[in-house]
Amino acid sequence: MIRRTKAVRHNTETDQSDQGLLTWRRSLVSRRRFLIESAGGTVALLFGLQHIVGADDYTPWATLGAVLEHLLPTEPDSPGAAEIHALDYFRFVMTDKRVDREQRDFILQGNRWLDDLAGEKYGRTFVQLDLTGKEHMLRQVARSSAGENWIATLLTYLFEALLTAPAYGGNTDQVGWRWLQYVPGFPLPGPGTRFTELPL
Amino acid sequence: MSRDFDVCIIGSGAGGGPVAYTLAKAGFSVLVLEKGPWLKEQHFTKDELACCRRKVYSPELRDEQHVIEESDEAGAWQVTPTEQSGWDFWNGNCVGGSSNFMSGYFHRLKPVDFELKSTFGAIDGANVVDWPIAYADLEPYYDRVERLVGVSGKAAAHANAEPRSSRDLPYPPTIEHPVSKRIDEAAKTLGFHALRVPRAILSQPAMGRRACEYSGFCGDFGCSSGAKGSSRAALLDHAVETGRCEIRPHAKVFSISTDAKGRISSVDYFARDNSVQRVDARIYVVACQAIESSRLLLASVGPRFPKGLANNHAQVGRNLLFSAGGAGSGDMAYADHNEAETRALRQVGPFVNRALDDWYTISDPKLGRVKGGIIEFLWDHPNAVVRAENAKWRNGGLVWGKPLKRQLETWFRTDRTLNFEVFNDWLPNDNCFVSLDSQVSDRWGSPVAKVRIGAHPQDQRIGRLLADKGEQLLKQLGARRISSSVGPAPPPNLQAGGCRFGEQAEHSVLDPDCRAHEVENLFVTDGSFMPTGGSVPYTFTIYANSFRVADRIIAQLGGERSGNT
Repeated sequence: MIRRTKAVRHNTETDQSDQGLLTWRRSLVSRRRFLIESAGGTVALLFGLQHIVGADDYTPWATLGAVLEHLLPTEPDSPGAAEIHALDYFRFVMTDKRVDREQRDFILQGNRWLDDLAGEKYGRTFVQLDLTGKEHMLRQVARSSAGENWIATLLTYLFEALLTAPAYGGNTDQVGWRWLQYVPGFPLPGPGTRFTELPL
Repeated sequence: MSRDFDVCIIGSGAGGGPVAYTLAKAGFSVLVLEKGPWLKEQHFTKDELACCRRKVYSPELRDEQHVIEESDEAGAWQVTPTEQSGWDFWNGNCVGGSSNFMSGYFHRLKPVDFELKSTFGAIDGANVVDWPIAYADLEPYYDRVERLVGVSGKAAAHANAEPRSSRDLPYPPTIEHPVSKRIDEAAKTLGFHALRVPRAILSQPAMGRRACEYSGFCGDFGCSSGAKGSSRAALLDHAVETGRCEIRPHAKVFSISTDAKGRISSVDYFARDNSVQRVDARIYVVACQAIESSRLLLASVGPRFPKGLANNHAQVGRNLLFSAGGAGSGDMAYADHNEAETRALRQVGPFVNRALDDWYTISDPKLGRVKGGIIEFLWDHPNAVVRAENAKWRNGGLVWGKPLKRQLETWFRTDRTLNFEVFNDWLPNDNCFVSLDSQVSDRWGSPVAKVRIGAHPQDQRIGRLLADKGEQLLKQLGARRISSSVGPAPPPNLQAGGCRFGEQAEHSVLDPDCRAHEVENLFVTDGSFMPTGGSVPYTFTIYANSFRVADRIIAQLGGERSGNT
């Protein structure tokens, strides 16, 4: 790419082909406003929740792990979220100051909202649902723009876990690259040359 | 009066490097102030997160941003700070600047680019002018860049080839991809003439740098072998070796001070610890990339410059240029090729190195005789996450689970996308300029640059004509799903103008030597000087002009002191 024509920042909107660039950028602006608002708690309403349950000692990681495994399932001949250690990668993302604070909060809070919704509908947490129940829940969530945004955000970072250098915690043994027959560059980042360790 | 340095250069990219190199070699003391860190070969890896997703080589937009004004459908100017839009106008803030991350497509301008107005006449709504110098004035410096920065390729007879003083390029071409030959054949069938693109990439070890190692990850990535001719690897490292050039990273210049006579007396910068530091020199060179150079001059008011340094004729920031054109692509499906051909297509590392310049000038029944541009061919950018991102949407909705995995397999394993990029002139006009924003500041409290981006409608007409030619070639190659887009949005990494050079102070900021008309010890050596941009990426011309200006600076300082260039 010689001409850099589109923003390739870690945004979740990439399906902009039939929109004007100006419109697309406006959608980014509203996405950001949306994230800021959702970090303040209004997403619960957008998810369709009547009220927020959940205990104060709630931890999102088990739910997040189950959601990621549902979004990228393991198959006999291709890796899923488990094989690429997606959850480890998400733990790294949560420490990455280059990712907006609002976005990091949004990723984690979405799990609580999802569990609350599962509780309302099935009387269980998301993890306790069977495959059909999980799919049903996520489809329902994706019907709201907030929910769709949350899943799209998870997919973005799931792709990073699948396809960035193993030094960041995902793509274990380059399994993501091998699956997709992708030839990485060299040298790859490793201890001492990860972007978090550069003398910036 | 004693000065800290002979020359102080603000910015270490393609505009600053040649001055630092030339002056230090000529025996002068040089200080280079660079806002970003000093990264070296060992820090650069092929890391999609670093280069392109977390953008660690440029500032975070919440700390430093731009404000962009674009015209909406009704013609009103819409103002958006880039922290909100994510539309990033930084292109690499570290020693060597954005030249660390260029692809190194080194086309010279052609003689016609220096005399657009004389050749094609005035254009309504565009501020087209001839340059105050001719191709012949710059040619020796293109030649110097080819040798000192290291340009590889092979000069061949060609209808639109520029005149050369040396017979050939100093380094043989980089290894080329099997598709290059197919492009040559397809072009020939269509009556086009594919040319081999000179690259600022060493094909052999030279000048203390290693040769290209063909990782397949070049543009957007820092070079880990030193083969890419960045200002840092090719020039600044050698300047430092003389013992006369000091580079200060993490030095963010925020103001240039002037005395009662209108001469620069010192520059002020924030050091890494945010303390304010001051330095002085006999000559000052501004080379911060076009938008930021205009911003710095506008922010530097003084007793003789109430509207900004060298801006008493209100020219600073005007006639900002990007590069017009667009991009297209076609998929080379493995199913359309036998096993050996597929293996060839899948090769990663060798370069395509092919472009078309058959329409550098155009005689068209509808458009008349007009300036055209070039079409550059290249493989789709190798970044994987950005490619996967597109796979998660289908028919406007999200895809996940097994359907997503099948879509990823199709996108990654069944074809390879060949792209082309069109470059044509971004016509200078009154609606493309830099000013200071009155509301948004950077993290040090300085007003950020506000950039109005207005494009002349002719830019898109020319771009479309060229994109159609690019599509024709992809069709001849048998590509599937061919498409292209040409629009008014600029590529933020191809900036020039804002301080155009010219004979008259009323209409230009710089004189023909790129010295400010109004300030005798100020030179601007990035792409700001260009009154029209030509139809090729800017870096080669910025390098060449900066070497030319370096010779003028030496003359102003009384001639060479020692050593040689």
